[in-house]
Amino acid sequence: MTITLNKSNTLVIDDFQSMRSMIMGFLKSMGVTNISNVGTAREALELLSSKKFDLVICDYNLGQGKNGQQILEEARHKRYIGHSTVWMMVTAEKTMDMFMGAAEAKPDDYLLKPVTEAMLSSRLQKLFEKKRMLEPIEKAVKSRNYAHAIKLCEEQLATPSANTQELQRIKSDLLINSGDFVTAKTFLSGLLAARNIPWVKTSLGKVHYLSKDYIKARELFEEVLQENKMYLEAADWLAKSLDALGESALAQAVLEKAMMLSPNATLRQKSLADAALKNGALELAQSAYEKAIKLGEFSVHKSAGNFAGLAKVITTQNDPEQALKILTLSRNEFKDDPAATLQTAVAESLAHHKLGNTEQALASLQEAEALIVETAQNTSVDTTIDMANMMFQIGQKDKACGLLESVVKNNHENRAILQRVETTFEDAGMAEEGLALIKSSSKEVIDINNQGVALANEGKFEEGIRLIRKALQAMPNNDLMITNLCGMMIGMMHRTGKDDRMLFEVSELLERVGRLNPTNKKYHPYVTLLGKMSATD
Amino acid sequence: MPQTEDINFSDFIASSIHDMKNSLNIQVGFLEHLMHSYHDKVDPNTLDQLGHTIYEAGRMNVNLVQILSLYKLGNSIYPIDISERSVTEMLEEVVLQNQSIMKHKGIEIIVDCAPDHYWYFDRDLVGGVLVNALNNAYNYTQDKIRIAADIRDDQLEIRVEDNGKGYPARMLNENVNSNKGVNFSTGSTGLGFYFSSRVAAMHKNGERQGVLTIENGGAYNGGCFVLTLP
Repeated sequence: MTITLNKSNTLVIDDFQSMRSMIMGFLKSMGVTNISNVGTAREALELLSSKKFDLVICDYNLGQGKNGQQILEEARHKRYIGHSTVWMMVTAEKTMDMFMGAAEAKPDDYLLKPVTEAMLSSRLQKLFEKKRMLEPIEKAVKSRNYAHAIKLCEEQLATPSANTQELQRIKSDLLINSGDFVTAKTFLSGLLAARNIPWVKTSLGKVHYLSKDYIKARELFEEVLQENKMYLEAADWLAKSLDALGESALAQAVLEKAMMLSPNATLRQKSLADAALKNGALELAQSAYEKAIKLGEFSVHKSAGNFAGLAKVITTQNDPEQALKILTLSRNEFKDDPAATLQTAVAESLAHHKLGNTEQALASLQEAEALIVETAQNTSVDTTIDMANMMFQIGQKDKACGLLESVVKNNHENRAILQRVETTFEDAGMAEEGLALIKSSSKEVIDINNQGVALANEGKFEEGIRLIRKALQAMPNNDLMITNLCGMMIGMMHRTGKDDRMLFEVSELLERVGRLNPTNKKYHPYVTLLGKMSATD
Repeated sequence: MPQTEDINFSDFIASSIHDMKNSLNIQVGFLEHLMHSYHDKVDPNTLDQLGHTIYEAGRMNVNLVQILSLYKLGNSIYPIDISERSVTEMLEEVVLQNQSIMKHKGIEIIVDCAPDHYWYFDRDLVGGVLVNALNNAYNYTQDKIRIAADIRDDQLEIRVEDNGKGYPARMLNENVNSNKGVNFSTGSTGLGFYFSSRVAAMHKNGERQGVLTIENGGAYNGGCFVLTLP
């Protein structure tokens, strides 16, 4: 439950002792009694991990190490703080990341220096009131009851308030996340008709992108950037749209420009590096990966992909020894993360192969094989294809085909990915075999699905569920298969009654579908159905 | 503006201002801290002087912020955030920032705005314009300032009115939106008006854009600073 300001457990983070005591003085005269304070990011994260805070007042610029934004991202990412915690950033200067982009990355509000007691008090009162108003919506979202959350948003939107924009954004995100693109389009177009607002236009562009209308999406993102070139969230989406349209050189140019305007965006730096690598711009790719590694040093966006990408570039440029050194760093950095180690092992085998160390290349591949089993549904398509490529080079044709078969089965309706599988076969001089494998694997998926549907139609839900569950082991990311499983479980509950464990499993499965392919036609109807089932007693 | 071949002079100024602003913030922070710790331990006269020092430092900060914002607006790199917000809340915040000094000089300041007015604007930019307008009014008023907002003809009109002598005819005849440049003899930099009219123009809706006007009259028959946002 949202707590009142004077009862809140408060943390003040600032590297200047005098600023900390000033802010604590302000808080005390507002009646806040439970106040902790720290001077460094490290101490802040330590305290945040061990104690629950209702209010955090954090200076943006903390000297060396993590900045306030990075503390916030890490605290949210590691769930040290939840939705009910109020995060106030104190800053000398406003930056884009304080009000743009994903909600997880934004503070609740920011306060420009110099801070006065009156301003601090006024802002905090309002933030606590806002949290209180939004609490029931957050609760509905947390229990994945999106339909109810949307209804609550609409109720609150009926009266104009200071929360209008926040509510509109939540409603828009909920519609998009539950796959209801039709309603999302109507809602956002309605807002746009009244006034041209960058976040609304960007969200509408996202809806078009997710509905695979990349041309319309591109138009909208370009408009946003023409009207407001600092609205870089639109640049990220524009690059994605261009990439989907096959304009990868343009996508790279858009990201390059965005990086010049905002040089500290870790994730965007990685996208730029990936785009450059894809386009064969090796020098740019190298410097971009290097920058991404440096930027990610203190961030939750630190990624093994940057190390693996850099190693790949350097190996291609004929310095595999240097690549191996980089990969050793990556190994140490991500030693508890199997998906990261997998990427590292694949890149290592490539470097060893280039050096002519076949034995070591094979050893790395062997390690990768074990890891790919362990990471299962979290394995990226990129890594799997890289690995298959490597296996072809080293003469392990059968294993390579096995991996590519799993890629096809997991993505049998995704044309772009199937195209990449085809190219991989072509590069290995096996174009015909490749086409045959794509065809037979896709057919296998479709057959199993049809069998499942037939069983469900006969009312044999349990048998159908068993069949699909078994099939999913070989293709854990096939969204069609997952939604069919959901359909059967819902059908079964209609017959035998509601089952909380099953409801939870279906909602988790649907959440995965939302991530894998929100355009899946059954996704939105099932989310709606599940919402209704959860709501009835 | 003097310009060497390699250095862009305005980039140079902008980065220096950024640096100055940080120093100033540390100074203001320390002064506020002193004020807070010693308000019941020193004589009222010293406290007055301290209060005035903080006020002057605040004025300096406002100027630096304006120059820096203008630099960023000029290069289209200002992180502008025009979103729907409560008008009353913004006006009240602006007053809060100046309250102690107004009280000290015995100026009565009132906010006149319906609580259910919501409008689209950049909170920091428009707040900066109004703080500047209040500072001017503070210098020219006798003892009253009214800050009022209303929605007319589908536009938000914000007025800062005082009961001083009003603007001289020379100023009323000039267009405040055109930059007259710096007048070193009168000491008027024109910065405040220039900043305010730029901020007004940044606010657009369809074909319309915001404007700044000055006039005499209003509730107290004094100077009126009027910001209209579409």
